[in-house]
Amino acid sequence: MNEVFFYLFGFLSVVLVLLAVTQRNVIRGGVFLLGSFVSLGAVYFASGAEFIGIVQVIVYGGAIIVLYLFALMTMDLKKVREEPLSLGFVSLGGFLSGIFFLLIVYGLANLGRVPKVEISGAKELASPLFYKFLLPFEVISVLLLVATIGAVAVGRREK
Amino acid sequence: MIGYVILSALFFCIGLFGIVVRRNVISLFFSLELLLNSANVLFVGFSKVHGNLYGEIFVFFVLAVAAAEAAVGLAIVVALYRLRGSVNTEDYSSLRW
Repeated sequence: MNEVFFYLFGFLSVVLVLLAVTQRNVIRGGVFLLGSFVSLGAVYFASGAEFIGIVQVIVYGGAIIVLYLFALMTMDLKKVREEPLSLGFVSLGGFLSGIFFLLIVYGLANLGRVPKVEISGAKELASPLFYKFLLPFEVISVLLLVATIGAVAVGRREK
Repeated sequence: MIGYVILSALFFCIGLFGIVVRRNVISLFFSLELLLNSANVLFVGFSKVHGNLYGEIFVFFVLAVAAAEAAVGLAIVVALYRLRGSVNTEDYSSLRW
């Protein structure tokens, strides 16, 4: 049952990502990307990583994509120029991504180990996060503070 | 395991294709998020294979860095939009060699 949901939502998220990247309208692309991230959260759920799935939906879907969409609302989208689709860049992008696909799949395909589906919720994640990785956790919180202050300082309107 | 690998590789390749092809800065950011997500998928897969939770902890950190990157990047894009009135990368060519 888990396998079925894994492949179903994985396929759905890949299709939505393809739509998001090839969509010319940026707002529509963002909404497709939101759907893709939510179904990626469902993929994490199907593989047992419950807490990561929840955080994926809340942070990626609820915070990051919505932040992008809000920033897009302050721009005049009528003035956004049509992107020229040059054959050279499309073929270069296709070539590069094909090479990387082959590299990743060839390099990792024959590991041959079956993942165990264990539920890892907030309770299981809390102990390594707050004991073994306490210092990175604190550093990350400082990084978020720095990023917030930096975003406000950079985006401020000059008087 | 092969499911995780293929899903991650597809995400990475689509993101790379988007970064090479698109000219809109916001679309470039979307593609960048895809690259980070492909790494996350592989982290969760390896965490499940090895049976410990360190990979999932690292996904947590990647999420926090992605949120910080989104905030700072968007502030820069909004400032650039005010300066140039455009979000197309071809209009940001004053440092071009």
